[in-house]
Amino acid sequence: MAEVEKQPSLSAQEGGRGECGEEPSDGGAAVGVAEPAPPSAGSPVTEEPAEDTKKKIDILLKAVGDTPIMKTKKWAVERTRTIQGLIDFIKKFLKLVASEQLFIYVNQSFAPSPDQEVGTLYECFGSDGKLVLHYCKSQAWG
Amino acid sequence: MTDDKDVLRDVWFGRIPTCFTLYQDEITEREAEPYYLLLPRISYLTLVTDKVKKHFQKVMRQDDFTEIWFEYEGTPLKWHYPIGLLFDLHASNTALPWNITVHFKNFPEKDLLHCPSKDVIEAHFMACVKEADALKHKSQVINEMQKKDHKQLWMGLQNDKFDQFWAINRKLMECPPEDSGFRYIPFRLYQVTTERPFIQKLFRPVAADGQLNTLGDLLKEVCPAAVTPEDGEKKNQVMIHGIEPMLETPVQWLSEHMSYPDNFLHISIIPQPTD
Repeated sequence: MAEVEKQPSLSAQEGGRGECGEEPSDGGAAVGVAEPAPPSAGSPVTEEPAEDTKKKIDILLKAVGDTPIMKTKKWAVERTRTIQGLIDFIKKFLKLVASEQLFIYVNQSFAPSPDQEVGTLYECFGSDGKLVLHYCKSQAWG
Repeated sequence: MTDDKDVLRDVWFGRIPTCFTLYQDEITEREAEPYYLLLPRISYLTLVTDKVKKHFQKVMRQDDFTEIWFEYEGTPLKWHYPIGLLFDLHASNTALPWNITVHFKNFPEKDLLHCPSKDVIEAHFMACVKEADALKHKSQVINEMQKKDHKQLWMGLQNDKFDQFWAINRKLMECPPEDSGFRYIPFRLYQVTTERPFIQKLFRPVAADGQLNTLGDLLKEVCPAAVTPEDGEKKNQVMIHGIEPMLETPVQWLSEHMSYPDNFLHISIIPQPTD
């Protein structure tokens, strides 16, 4: 199994709370994850994940307002990744300060709880094989 | 025959007798007496425990006031889950009162979200209401409402005002005359025995042939392990608001009458008690 090509800025931050497991879903010859992603704050430890919880889902990230735009918008993310985990990942990628807030919205209508798993959101609100999430530094839709 | 509307009141006014005890390792200046309170099933721990906090802070040192958190038999209780769900899931087959331990130190970051203010509870509650309507009505009903209507839902919950709440919530429980149900049913299925937080999937209240889908149909589709086999022994209880609805109950009816104020059906799958 080939090693996943990790973003340099992510692997440097790992230390037990790293965001390994995210990979751009277009380009790159990623075939698998080198090691299971450590649980992000608030998410339960997964024991022996079933085959479908190992599969990744495609997320398309869209910036709202004057929030910086991610150079890579499409990501393959593990189903058990939480919204908080995704927020931390985007903040690191955009080089935002820890104290800066970031809000994530589904369907441009609601902000899911930080401990929500992206897999569940994909099941319920995904379309055309992906989950579209809008992110914003301020509260866009309440 | 009980009117369906009576069910709404029974759900709203459900209470759980609870005894709050301060964790033994918390440092106090005097002995901390336990505090007894009737908790509303439909509300959230951090919304209804101001008196609990004040009671225990009276016996603690002034500078020890960090964020309060609650635990039952070693399990941190998620404040963002409705109280009734927490009780059904963790303690429904134990003797009353529900014994909850109060902590002020060593906040379990991995298990609990922080709750610095009531605004956080309101934001969480409204997000759930919006998510539910996204499933029921493609967000059309919630989006047509004014900000003051959203506020009224929250204020109704916060102040335990059934009529104030339902004046607005009834609109979220309606569907267009041409439809026999919501688009999808907002539900979450919880089990303590799995590591997954909950199961939430798309599920239609009406089948392709026009028949109303039942609670049993829902379970068969999203959690077949919870369904008792034909000649098998009943291993689980399927509980909502402390009762086991008949599996023949249409989910559309359950959604309209037994949802929590956040418009979700929070369903607990717990082991069948052996005695």
